[in-house]
Amino acid sequence: MKAVNAPADVALRPRVGLLALLLTFVRLGTMTFGGSVQSWVHREVVERLGWIDDKAFLSGLTVAQVLPGANPVNIALYVGLQLRGAAGAAVAVFGMIVPAFCLTLCLGYFYRAYGHLAVVHFVLGGLAAAGVGATLTMAFKVARRLPRNLMTPLIALTVFGVVGLLRWPMVPVVVVAVPVSIALAFVQEKRKAS
Amino acid sequence: MTGSRLLALILVFSPVSIMSFGGGQSTIPEIQHQAVTVHGWLTDDQFTDFFAISRAAPGPSTLIVALIGWQVYGLLGAVAATLAIFVPSSIVMYAVSAWWQRNEESVIRKSIERGLAPVAVGLIFAGAVIVLNAAHAGLLALATTAAVCVLRSMTGISTYAMVAAVAAAYLLLFALFQFTA
Repeated sequence: MKAVNAPADVALRPRVGLLALLLTFVRLGTMTFGGSVQSWVHREVVERLGWIDDKAFLSGLTVAQVLPGANPVNIALYVGLQLRGAAGAAVAVFGMIVPAFCLTLCLGYFYRAYGHLAVVHFVLGGLAAAGVGATLTMAFKVARRLPRNLMTPLIALTVFGVVGLLRWPMVPVVVVAVPVSIALAFVQEKRKAS
Repeated sequence: MTGSRLLALILVFSPVSIMSFGGGQSTIPEIQHQAVTVHGWLTDDQFTDFFAISRAAPGPSTLIVALIGWQVYGLLGAVAATLAIFVPSSIVMYAVSAWWQRNEESVIRKSIERGLAPVAVGLIFAGAVIVLNAAHAGLLALATTAAVCVLRSMTGISTYAMVAAVAAAYLLLFALFQFTA
């Protein structure tokens, strides 16, 4: 069934112009922020424009989340790649990053001019705390979906402890934790399969 | 030796890019550690301010590195830091996407998905603690974090509304505090 459907899906997929792709991701990159990007991309690309279907989007979202890289950028890359290959990926990523980069530097410019004022630092402190709140919401959501066994929470807690509390550098911790964690998951998947 | 500062930016942020499992938020511990503790490019206060700006600005919040790069080496530094944080991870994503699509039922793919998730969760929580710590968060900041967390989970409040509300509340508090002090 799947094998029969797959080529048909590709054939049905509309041919999207690179300019349309660029403009869509410029809009997404400048209008969305703070962890809400996924849902906005879904609303635009799947629901409104119908460029890719739900299943392809969700599969891309998973890979965008698990692989290294900022999720919004990875999703843009995935959608662009699906629609127009390498050129599409480059255009979508450019659209997601460059306008937002300019806006961030504009805000940074204002910060340079007014950052010495106590009120600016005070309000930014509040926004940082709010940003942490938004991050934690997302982290709790992901944590709830973790498989309920002994090892998974133990790995999460260990990584949190050594990086967050003991302040070990991230790179060596990740270099050790990722293979160990994947190997454990692999053993469990094998056991489940047999 | 200003050229070496540009090189340092690239050498610091490229490995972070490759290791940023779990998205931009998982990179916050390492960015703070490198920029504040190791290289002394920023103070804790500036780091907190930059974090807030990057979260309040549209687009990926990983663009905090653009602000750090700008501080270290001007516009060129901002561009270099941004490329360093996005290019390596994008190459990995590009290379893996096709394989990922083709191997939906693969045990290896499932193991990678399951194995990376707890590492990402651990890093994201670590990032939260480190930002609160760098901000010398008092009761007010912790209450703000908790309130946002509850509001975001319970209601569909938009991020714009939330940022506006928090900024307004803090402005009001600052005004009241100034009057009483």
